[in-house]
Amino acid sequence: MAPPVLEIDNLTMRFGGLTAIDRLSFNVERGAIHGLIGPNGAGKTTTFNVVSGFYKPTGGEVRLRGETISGLRMYEVARRGVVRTFQHSTLFAELSVLENALIGTHMSFPPNIFAAMAGVDKANRRAARARAEEALDFFGLSGLAEELAGDLPHGHQRALGMAVALAARPDVVLLDEPFTGMNPEETGRMMELMVKLRNTGVTILLVEHDMHAIMGLCDRITCMSFGRLLAEGSPQEIRHHPDVIEAYLGGARHVA
Amino acid sequence: MHSRVTNLAAFLGFGAILLALPHTLSFSQQEILVFLTINVLVVASYRLLTLTGEWSLGHVVIMGVGAYASALLSKRLGIYVPASMLLGAVTAAMVALALSFPLFRMKGFYFLIGSFAAGEIIRLLWKRFREPFGGPKGIKKIDPMPDFDIGIYAFDFFEPISYYYFALAVVGVSLWVMWRIERSPVGLTFHAVHWQDKLAEASGVNVRAYRTLAFVLASGFAGLSGALLAHYIGTINPNSFDVEQMVFVLTWTIVGGTATFYGPILGCVVLTILNEIVLREAGFEQMRPLIYGLILILSVLFMPKGLESLVRGALSWRNAGKKKVGETEATE
Amino acid sequence: MVELLAQTGLNALYAASYTALVAVGLVLIFGVMGVINFAHGELFMLGAYAIVAVYADWNLPYLVAVAVGMIFVGIVGLGMERAFFRPLRDNPLGGLVASIGFLMILQALVSMGFGVRMEHVPPVTQDVIVITERVRLPVFRLAVILAAVVLLASLWAFLKKTRFGWALRASAQDPEAAALQGISINQTARIAMFIGAALAGVAGALTAPLISVNPHMGHSVIVTAFIVIIVGGIGSLEGAVIVAVAYAFVHTFVTTFFDGVIADIVGLLLLLIVLIAKPTGLFGSTDRA
Repeated sequence: MAPPVLEIDNLTMRFGGLTAIDRLSFNVERGAIHGLIGPNGAGKTTTFNVVSGFYKPTGGEVRLRGETISGLRMYEVARRGVVRTFQHSTLFAELSVLENALIGTHMSFPPNIFAAMAGVDKANRRAARARAEEALDFFGLSGLAEELAGDLPHGHQRALGMAVALAARPDVVLLDEPFTGMNPEETGRMMELMVKLRNTGVTILLVEHDMHAIMGLCDRITCMSFGRLLAEGSPQEIRHHPDVIEAYLGGARHVA
Repeated sequence: MHSRVTNLAAFLGFGAILLALPHTLSFSQQEILVFLTINVLVVASYRLLTLTGEWSLGHVVIMGVGAYASALLSKRLGIYVPASMLLGAVTAAMVALALSFPLFRMKGFYFLIGSFAAGEIIRLLWKRFREPFGGPKGIKKIDPMPDFDIGIYAFDFFEPISYYYFALAVVGVSLWVMWRIERSPVGLTFHAVHWQDKLAEASGVNVRAYRTLAFVLASGFAGLSGALLAHYIGTINPNSFDVEQMVFVLTWTIVGGTATFYGPILGCVVLTILNEIVLREAGFEQMRPLIYGLILILSVLFMPKGLESLVRGALSWRNAGKKKVGETEATE
Repeated sequence: MVELLAQTGLNALYAASYTALVAVGLVLIFGVMGVINFAHGELFMLGAYAIVAVYADWNLPYLVAVAVGMIFVGIVGLGMERAFFRPLRDNPLGGLVASIGFLMILQALVSMGFGVRMEHVPPVTQDVIVITERVRLPVFRLAVILAAVVLLASLWAFLKKTRFGWALRASAQDPEAAALQGISINQTARIAMFIGAALAGVAGALTAPLISVNPHMGHSVIVTAFIVIIVGGIGSLEGAVIVAVAYAFVHTFVTTFFDGVIADIVGLLLLLIVLIAKPTGLFGSTDRA
């Protein structure tokens, strides 16, 4: 059996007196779509922020293919192959759709200022552009390449966020609430795109509230509550897990 | 292809106007034209700095670093003036690199205050250390540009017109380099760092390194403009690079608007012409700080995107007019 | 040596008194309005010129001139609030830049009105309290120190004991919650701006007879005030007072034993170090940061 691509090992994150993540451990298998769920305030987004390098953990560590990546800066984590998206359509709204995707190619085709001034980076620019167009094509955004990202409708913005991540050719993508604000039709289309993305060999870890989407999409689900691991298993197992049901019913007021 | 020909024609025409311009002006107007040319480089470099989203209040002092360095290198070590100018630019860039370590731990107005404090420290060092900086009186009798002859034109740097051509060439090349950088993937990354530094970093961009790069490059060009100034006026002191000068640069930049490359240059040119024609002719020259202060406030209040937004507004209005004829809007 | 230290300490106490007045005003404006007033040094300068005009030129009593200066500068503050801080409330950097523009206007107006030369205000009193042969405290300096203490104590009482003070503190802590409580943002901003500006004005008026008054004197004042409010924790009035006193001592001692420029450099380095290590300052909270 292949070793897990991502290992979250005894991870702890404290802010002052508040413990947001409490000795959390779980593994993400290579090529899986892995869901991270839990009631509001369970620490899902904080976990994302630690894994992606946005925060330095108070304790424990995150390993990518056996190498410790916790404590690295966000761009260093990205350069090792873990790329994240953000909540609420975080994009370069003032740049065009193609330019957004071009930023995604930054790691594969790092800009060189001297080559740029001398005008000898044409091949590099062409390759970056091809990669960006390919990523846009994958998410059906080719026709919108010259539009300003901020002018796109919501569903397209979410797709563009994923295209920016895909343009980076990641091993693992972390998707933070990718279905928020989508209607069922858009959600369905996005789910198809995620399966398609996984089939290209990318491992996906996602945080999501939409239970329907999570249950239909994930191979494996980790459920958190109050910063701790509550349950882990297949969608079937999670759906019928008494602790999960308890946590969601108990937390229903907050969810609403 | 047609548009490339028109662009080239427009470029050549514009160049010819710039070359012919001083011959239509009086001696004192030619001097002002030299200052204007140098100031264009200052504002353009300031915009390069703001590309990554941080506004500095130390830019004019960094310009002064280039001026002091070039003046001292030529005066004390006898380095050939054009070479000392380049070294002045390098010195300014190096000082900026050193300053970037403390300053880029700050953001927003902490960065503003931090850059202001760093600039003040440098100015105080100039004031304090008579050796080599000359203390409050600064450096006098800075070596002028040595005259030279390029066959078609003999540069005689006692004439402002010669210095204007020299500065025009230096500034032109600098602007071209800055333009190339902005239009390259490096420039795109600067914009990305400005608009969404978190997403840029998640895409593998070393945000701090790019902020530093923009800061160091901008400071290098500011240092070059300082060196151009020093060898033209021949005397500099700590007050040549004080808050008042910074206000001028801020005003030109904000009045022009930073969204486009030409915005701040437009602001600088328009306000300088306004100043020289309206104020000087009307005998209100001492009111310059007052007018600039007023313009700065009014433009922050009523024109947050600057003069260039007026130009772009006019252009898009024209384009929209064209569009109506043939095609429908593609966006929803 | 002991005498030198005692004399330097007295000098420091005097420097602390007017520095605290300026810094507290700046912090009050920042706390309530969320904007850095770059023109604060020029408000100090205006206060000093009020003395030049009312006391030195028109020969009115000194205390009248101080009162005129304080109220006049307070009103200038109200004008600033209305003219640009209020329209730019959602754009704190815009407010800062506008105040830089205003700084230029004030300098230019004063230069045109009074000329750029130094003004010397005739001394109010030349009595000196002789403590020992080499430790002397001019009565006027003592009066400035006492006036500052009285003003800061009244401000403290105003903030803690009155309804306006309560409203001011509430909107400094959480402007939105304060607005929900029915506190008018415009009114608290006006009060803060008036008091903040008046404090800078009175500081300028009090020190005018002891320093050379010129249109550019605000520069060193604003630099000092920045150091104090950043090190003290931007937004913390207590921090500003404590650091004003501490910094005045450091600055005065370094000036006495080295020189004034070195003292300024030390202060600015201190500011940079604090900005790097703890951007919210020694006494600051992260509320408005």
